[in-house]
Amino acid sequence: MIAVEGLRKRYGRRVALDQVDFAVPQGEIFGFLGPNGAGKTTTIRILATLTPPDSGTATIGGVRIDREPFAVRRLIGYMPDFFGVYDRLTVVEYLDFYASCYDVPARRRRRVASELLELVDLSARAGDQVDTLSRGMKQRLCLARALIHNPQVLLLDEPASGLDPRARMEMQELIRELRRMGKTILVSSHIVPEVEELCTWIGVIDGGKIVEIGPKADVLRRAAVGRRLRIELVDADEAATARARALIAAWPGVLGVEDGASGLEAAVDAGLPAHRLLRELIQAGFDVGAFTPVELDLSDVFLRLTEQPEEARQ
Amino acid sequence: MSVAGEAREVVAPEPSEPGSGGHAPGAVRALRRLVVNPLIVKDGLSRMRSWRAPAVIAVYLVMLGLFAWLAFSVQLGDGGVQRFYGFARVGSTVFTALAVVQLALVCLFTPGVAAGAISGERERQTLDVLLVSCVPSFSIVWGKLVASVAFIVLLILAALPLFAAVFLLGGIDASQFVVAQLVTMTTALTTGAVSLFLSALFRRTLAATVVAYGITFAATAGTWIVGTILTTAAAAQLRTGPPPAHPMLWFNPIHAILTALQGGSGSVPGLGRVTTVYYLATGQTGPNAPAIEPWHLTVLAQLVVVALGVIGTVWLLRERRGIFRGSASS
Repeated sequence: MIAVEGLRKRYGRRVALDQVDFAVPQGEIFGFLGPNGAGKTTTIRILATLTPPDSGTATIGGVRIDREPFAVRRLIGYMPDFFGVYDRLTVVEYLDFYASCYDVPARRRRRVASELLELVDLSARAGDQVDTLSRGMKQRLCLARALIHNPQVLLLDEPASGLDPRARMEMQELIRELRRMGKTILVSSHIVPEVEELCTWIGVIDGGKIVEIGPKADVLRRAAVGRRLRIELVDADEAATARARALIAAWPGVLGVEDGASGLEAAVDAGLPAHRLLRELIQAGFDVGAFTPVELDLSDVFLRLTEQPEEARQ
Repeated sequence: MSVAGEAREVVAPEPSEPGSGGHAPGAVRALRRLVVNPLIVKDGLSRMRSWRAPAVIAVYLVMLGLFAWLAFSVQLGDGGVQRFYGFARVGSTVFTALAVVQLALVCLFTPGVAAGAISGERERQTLDVLLVSCVPSFSIVWGKLVASVAFIVLLILAALPLFAAVFLLGGIDASQFVVAQLVTMTTALTTGAVSLFLSALFRRTLAATVVAYGITFAATAGTWIVGTILTTAAAAQLRTGPPPAHPMLWFNPIHAILTALQGGSGSVPGLGRVTTVYYLATGQTGPNAPAIEPWHLTVLAQLVVVALGVIGTVWLLRERRGIFRGSASS
């Protein structure tokens, strides 16, 4: 549904995007993950036809954004990371205004607005002025606004930023519901747990480059190459622990050993025969209480993928 | 959260019926957008709900009313017997003074209303969402211009009873009445278009407003003062009757109103029945020459400025919209 090839964008001497390629299948929630300044918003603005790329192409629903921007605008609903609302307009008038901006027929606007307000749970505030709503309500109203013309694709730039935990969960539930309605959703965020909970596909961008992309499970599995083992020794004093650390570190395939929260943690190659290391430890006289792989979550993946020094990202 | 299954049928606009504006032919839709423009409705609603709108109307009418009272007092006050030339003369003088003051007030209020039209959207962080919508750039600019100028037109209309009362004294005919109001409105439109362009050019409303006031002052009071001084200086040198107005005055709305209302009195340098440019081109002058009055030139020049202002603002918005080279028009 969304396809991006070779996008490059430069602001003065700073490279914002460098050969960005990715594709998002229809009906997926694509989590666009990256640290601040990685290029998420620039990519979304290009997809929203607000910023032209220096080179590269992007299509949404098969329509090229550079050739038919107005056709693309009918396909997308865009929610920017920072947005304001109009003063002295009621919630219904606010939606009615955007409905007319998208040529929704006048006789249907009120009904569409009413249905959307029900969807985002703002029906009770329909007659209130928009600027009196809380931040979470404004976020939901902005999402309703993005849906006013029934777009196939939603581009949501940090949709849950600044929300309290309840409002964030409500927003996530809303996004899941929109996926069930068949929408393809691109959500940018730098909050890893949020993306991990919500998204079905993940793309990690750093320094303007895509460093990992794919279905969430695949991304986690690929990132697990070079896994970690947690080794707990029973009744081991400092000297015994030091001997065990040395033994493990000398084992072929072990990349490093450090003290973990409840024992030693060893970074090892994926091909390491862990059972032989366990047997060696036992034969050496260590009383091994636990010998388990450490489960990687998306936070580990994110940190690992984006751990290059700051200057390398410039 | 009521994100239940029944909401799944939501947001599915039907294909637009003819005339709805939805999928009407491009030309029809463009014409509809000139009149049925969502921005005109939205800005109008938003502006008229503010406490500022009635306050501005009240201040405008009070200032104009006070000035009318002052003008009458001067004309009919102490020594009025000696300076009293009849109701017609009083009516003509007070009407002219009121028209010029109204023009000044319009020039004072219009940049304040229009210079924040687009920069205000940017500052409010609503511009990007508007630009991502399907409203063409021209419609955005047109809607903003009409919404801004409509408020000024409302001020002008609100003051009409005051002008009508003075008009009843005589000294001004209907065509002069209409010309004065027309030049005032086109001046509002021009000031609005220039302010709108500056609003798109500058990121901050404050900068756009300050520059808009500067340009408005220079183009109205500035050129009128300098042009009048130069014309008077030329008259002093010639000593053979009133010389043609200095070119600086040709497109000046103050000069246009003064000549339209008082032109026959000889107190205001006028262009006569033909402009210098026309005379140079055709050699035709005298009573049979076409009656090209200063207000004709002023209104024509102002409409050109409005067109340039709108084109420039559309161009700036298209830049902001990131319209790609060679892409479809917006």
